[in-house]
Amino acid sequence: MRRLYSILIAMMLLAPAHPPRAAADDAVNPDADFKAFRDYFTKTFAKVPLDDFVNGPYSMDAELRKQWQAIDDFPPYDFAVERGKEMFATPFKNGKTYGDCFANKGIGIRQNYPYFDDNSGEIITLELALNRCREANGEAPYSYVKDEMASLTAYMAFTSRGKLFDIKIPNDPRARAAYENGKRYFYTRRGQLNFSCASCHVQNPGNHIRTEVLAPALGIVAGMPIYRSEWNGMGTMSRRLVTCNSQTRAVPLTPQDEDYRDVEYYLTFMANGLPVSGPAARP
Amino acid sequence: MRLLLVVTCLLLAAAAAARAASTQADFDAALAAAAAAEKEAGALKNQWMPTEQALAAAKKAAAAGDFDTAVAQANEAEALAKASIAQAKEQQDAWKAGVIR
Amino acid sequence: MRPGRKAAAAGVLFLGATLAQSAYAQTPAGQALAFDRAKGNCLTCHDIEGGNAPGNVGPPLADMKRRFPDRKELAAVIFDETRRNPQTVMPPFGRNLILTKDEIESIVDFLYTR
Repeated sequence: MRRLYSILIAMMLLAPAHPPRAAADDAVNPDADFKAFRDYFTKTFAKVPLDDFVNGPYSMDAELRKQWQAIDDFPPYDFAVERGKEMFATPFKNGKTYGDCFANKGIGIRQNYPYFDDNSGEIITLELALNRCREANGEAPYSYVKDEMASLTAYMAFTSRGKLFDIKIPNDPRARAAYENGKRYFYTRRGQLNFSCASCHVQNPGNHIRTEVLAPALGIVAGMPIYRSEWNGMGTMSRRLVTCNSQTRAVPLTPQDEDYRDVEYYLTFMANGLPVSGPAARP
Repeated sequence: MRLLLVVTCLLLAAAAAARAASTQADFDAALAAAAAAEKEAGALKNQWMPTEQALAAAKKAAAAGDFDTAVAQANEAEALAKASIAQAKEQQDAWKAGVIR
Repeated sequence: MRPGRKAAAAGVLFLGATLAQSAYAQTPAGQALAFDRAKGNCLTCHDIEGGNAPGNVGPPLADMKRRFPDRKELAAVIFDETRRNPQTVMPPFGRNLILTKDEIESIVDFLYTR
């Protein structure tokens, strides 16, 4: 699909039609999408302060917020932050560290992920970058969904709290194709239950499925990774996507599949200007 | 009256034949059809869990020699896979209607 | 089974009143299907009298006979509401083979008691 979009956009760019750039922008317009998306949430939930959307279901439900505030004195993700910090301080067998793989030694950079890598032409999420760092240093990759990966991302998010998401979509047809593919993934219905991501997180934030309060799509990535009581533990963005797919009775994709990375790129771009709130606790 | 009796007997015989126990060959054919449909759903990145569950149940029943159940589950898997294919094809354009504008 | 008994009583009344349109007009079966998480799982999104911890994505399912005097219309909503409203989030229970037509009829019988 990505390749198809790339080809289409490349054709538009190469075509000698009059304003070729305008044609491309008509097809993929992240800035216009951003404005419409932001307006939808701020108008639908006019009483919710913009920065509060990063608190997911708590921004939608006063009762749930009270319960959250009651437990937040002893956040259940603390152990993951501590563990991640230790892992960051522990060198690999070759003597290098996670910090050597990242800008600013990996501190306070969560808000810049995912990004478009113009060498490979693909989207690099924080989780992918961490495993590539391990592999580049001769270490086996971790599972993407929990445990060590959640600890590492929890620590990196923790050192970035309050920093504003700043995702860039460069003027490269491959980046724009990745963005558009992420948007397609977000709105596509799937699974036997026929839900898209938007079915719950655009059409029904604040509503309840059983007793669970649905989170708004705006800022939904900001709290990752999360300690989820339902999971009895930590989970990464990968875990969240896999779980969402299972709940629609779709066979989940492999963590860090291109579609998953692209939808994370799309959603994090939509969160631009909102503060990092992860790691976070969710029911 | 006699004609009615003959017709009734024929109908009963036909019904019995239709209900005859399924064979390994029936199962192989049903499974091949289901697997082909599920493969197509996979190419569209749109497989469903219930399809996988029905396929697993079909294979398990066949392994236990229960080919009636095995064929029924394989047919169910094929129907589910086809529904997931239809969904994927319909969504190739339909997703655009849900985009926030 | 406490709510079931009441439902059964209502179902019997309904049966008598409508000359038993379907062989599945046994309310307990319809209620079980409606409340089963692997089947109708209606409570995830709808409040229904007799069900615990309902969601509120969809409207409460009450007064159903007045709202859907034509049972075919109610069955069609359950079978595939996207035909009438393409943006609905209600799963197409019939089209996607979550429920058989008979199971949908059984759930309609149950909903008519609510």
